[in-house]
Amino acid sequence: MSEKVLLVDDEKEFLEIMSERMTARGMEVTTANSATKALSILEKKTFDAIVMDFQMPGMDGMEALKAIKNLKPELQIILLTGYATTEKTVEAMKVGATDFLEKPADLESLTQKIKEAKTEKMLLVEKRTEDKIKEILQRHGG
Amino acid sequence: MANNDNLLAKSGLNFFGRMSASATHEIKNTLAIINENSGLMEDLSMMAQKGASLPFDRITDISQRVTKQVQRANLVLNKLNRFSHSVDRETETANLEKTVDVVLNLASRLIEMQGITIKVRAPSSPILINTNLFYLENIIWRAIETICNASQKAKQVNISLKNSSGTALLGFSSDSLDSNLMDNVFGSKEDLALLEHLKLSIKKNIENNGFDLIWPKSI
Repeated sequence: MSEKVLLVDDEKEFLEIMSERMTARGMEVTTANSATKALSILEKKTFDAIVMDFQMPGMDGMEALKAIKNLKPELQIILLTGYATTEKTVEAMKVGATDFLEKPADLESLTQKIKEAKTEKMLLVEKRTEDKIKEILQRHGG
Repeated sequence: MANNDNLLAKSGLNFFGRMSASATHEIKNTLAIINENSGLMEDLSMMAQKGASLPFDRITDISQRVTKQVQRANLVLNKLNRFSHSVDRETETANLEKTVDVVLNLASRLIEMQGITIKVRAPSSPILINTNLFYLENIIWRAIETICNASQKAKQVNISLKNSSGTALLGFSSDSLDSNLMDNVFGSKEDLALLEHLKLSIKKNIENNGFDLIWPKSI
């Protein structure tokens, strides 16, 4: 099954070519040119991973990360960045970013990270389902 | 005096760091697009090796995209180079409009991040002043930063250059200004040291929703 990815970047050309190349590698790609648009798409569709530029006009990267995690806690977020300080990286990881990749990114590395993110998400969803079943069984004295 | 020098050095270093970070971030973005175009070319080449026909229109398209990004990066690098040379001389003749342009270009990413566009209006004849170019750039950036921070709801900030009766004026205004944030405009010790070093005064412009930087004498 193909990986469902939401690609978010304010650079239109980057978005176009990157999504074309990712699609050619079997991924199902949706694009958004701002964090606000990404949030509105996330309300309607589900994804295995989101690949997002950390510095975009409008909503601040950290603010966007928190809003996404709040909306979809299980979603894996890979951040793309021009330059990231160690402080920012640690802060983003604490808030819930799965991984970081510096621009210009190597597509093969990104593809690998997306595959890992999908597996991680599946494990999280499975764990959550298992916990729910256990909770129901306990409630009914099972 | 030594204290003022320290304040100028502190402000200058901070300014230099921010401009370099903004410009290099912009260059990184152009490199990312060039990198993806190169990757796309490689993908098309591999498909052609497997028997698909080579889409020549797409190759032309890729080539044009790369050229556009090279020009974009080159523009930033030219401004960055000019900016780096602004510390070469203690005093020189500066063209106010060109200096504003250098700062706007280097800081474009920082300004875009706030969702603000800046419109510059300048007279047809250049306004020249004798000053320290680096500190002039520094105070222009501080003025842009101040007006943008005080105009959170504004989409556009205006910079106007005027030259009247031997006075050079640089006005900063916006259509939506938080007057509370403007109360303490240029209130920091570093800003005051800059104003004093450049021998310029600042005046709130209530009519235009902003403030003016005034040099007593242009060339």
